[in-house]
Amino acid sequence: MELQLIEKSDHDLFVQNLINNYQVEGVKPKDGSFIYGSIKAPEELCLDFDCTLISPKKYFLPPKEALLQFALTPDSEITPLIENDPFILFGVHPYDIKAINQMDRIFARGVPDPHYLQRREAALVIGVDPTAVAPRSFWADMGASTVSEGFDLMFTDMGEHFIVEIGTNRGRNLLEEHAKLKPATTDDARERVRIRSRISHICKKRGFAFPKRDIPKLLEHSWNNFLWEEQASKCLSCGTCNIVCPTCYCFDVEDHVDLDLAHGERIRRWDGCLLQDFAAVATGENFRETRASRYRHRFFRKGHYLFEILDDLACVGCGRCASGCLPDIADPVNLFNKLKEG
Amino acid sequence: MEKPRVAFFDFASCEGCQLQVINLEEDLLKVLEAVDVVTFREAMKEHSDNYDIAFVEGAITRKSDEERLKGIRANAGVLVALGSCATLGGITCLKNFHDQEYVRKLVYGDKASHYETYPSRPLNAVVPVDFKIHGCPINRDEFAMVVKALLLGKNPEINNFPVCVECKMAENICVFEKGMTCMGPVTRAGCGACCVTEGSFCWGCRGLVDDPNADSQREVLATHGLSVQDILGSFRLYTGFSEVAK
Repeated sequence: MELQLIEKSDHDLFVQNLINNYQVEGVKPKDGSFIYGSIKAPEELCLDFDCTLISPKKYFLPPKEALLQFALTPDSEITPLIENDPFILFGVHPYDIKAINQMDRIFARGVPDPHYLQRREAALVIGVDPTAVAPRSFWADMGASTVSEGFDLMFTDMGEHFIVEIGTNRGRNLLEEHAKLKPATTDDARERVRIRSRISHICKKRGFAFPKRDIPKLLEHSWNNFLWEEQASKCLSCGTCNIVCPTCYCFDVEDHVDLDLAHGERIRRWDGCLLQDFAAVATGENFRETRASRYRHRFFRKGHYLFEILDDLACVGCGRCASGCLPDIADPVNLFNKLKEG
Repeated sequence: MEKPRVAFFDFASCEGCQLQVINLEEDLLKVLEAVDVVTFREAMKEHSDNYDIAFVEGAITRKSDEERLKGIRANAGVLVALGSCATLGGITCLKNFHDQEYVRKLVYGDKASHYETYPSRPLNAVVPVDFKIHGCPINRDEFAMVVKALLLGKNPEINNFPVCVECKMAENICVFEKGMTCMGPVTRAGCGACCVTEGSFCWGCRGLVDDPNADSQREVLATHGLSVQDILGSFRLYTGFSEVAK
């Protein structure tokens, strides 16, 4: 592992250099919370946030995107639309990087998705260790306090300076070209471990009352549990838990035609399995008509179906679903602990 | 292909939805290339009773409106309700919760006896409506989408998910977290959560989704400090004609 050190007083210069040379996206405050957006000046970039409203998945799978353009001609000309403008994503917490790593595998499986994969390839990801824990986060219990891949650089705030871990050669080149560096000592490395475990310890206050690897088995025995019905009776079917989730990637595809009726675009937009029409098909049939069946599906998806593909839960413990759910029934910690209790 | 003939009509309303159509700007010119507008009182002086598609704004608030609406229905191959007053009854239905004699006098004073009134209702309480473009006012893009679908002979796809979806995509902090309350969780999306994005809250102008969890919404509103009367008021503002507001 290669570590470097940037003095805080030199950090703004590094960010400014990046802004001068790249499109930089990072975390900014908004109404007491945080969102990812364009960074035009070093002072706009926030690295001491607890959690953002929605995850950085929006950069690789935008809420709404055009996949292709078509012409309504006899030979129906089709032009694929692929975005691959390079950009820097500065300030991604390890749990969100873990989610991106999972999505990278999902979108590369079967027929690889060029829209996702090329955007992903075009991004330089600069991670940052959390300095604060959102009230509903439980990433420490999900094994997402740190990640070993999925970032080009990883920053840790050490007070007077940042320690930077180099993840890839692209990251190393970026750093060497644009930052004033000092070598990090073994003491610095040891201090980073201590800082990381301190914040992780705060996050551990929330978590499962049993080993998380037991969740797929637990779900296998819970298909008919009364909790699905009981909890889902309060579900607003608003899809908030889906939209804010860094590992929800379902989408709907629509063809939109221009007013000239000669040209159009194929659009995909985020969909969510909690929404009433998610599993509705052309005949009018709906495979998950009830709130309870949709509610149960989400937990089976995160804790069972995707486990079979990823060999891990498709939940990284960010807690966005828990804090966004008005009737407060979306929290995986509460639900899985209740299921375990029986 | 002959262009479809299109007519616009209005009943009890502010005519703001027709104004949205006029405000389509560049797209309006494209619409005018695709269709023949034969009646549009707010925008032109010509009139014809020969039309294929009728866009009707406004609610039905008196018995004599019914005959006129039935006439439009008989002339039109496709009837599209335009805006909350037409699709839901909208805010005109607030008067339904008062004595009709009282509201008549309140509005018309000593001339009240010259004016008829009855409990307000949406168009589909009087005639079959083929499609609904919700909103107070309507969303221009959605209007254009419906026009395109009709031109292609497709059913327009009107959203059936709550405003929360679009609000989260717009990366708004939840209204409830800002100490206000919001009808977004049960209200049909399609507006892009414009009111919340501009710092307000969702008033519910696009009506309820097909299967709203009204009980849970009431509980959420109560948890955030609304009284039973306020909760009822939140549901009645735009959806007073529906069962949940009774």
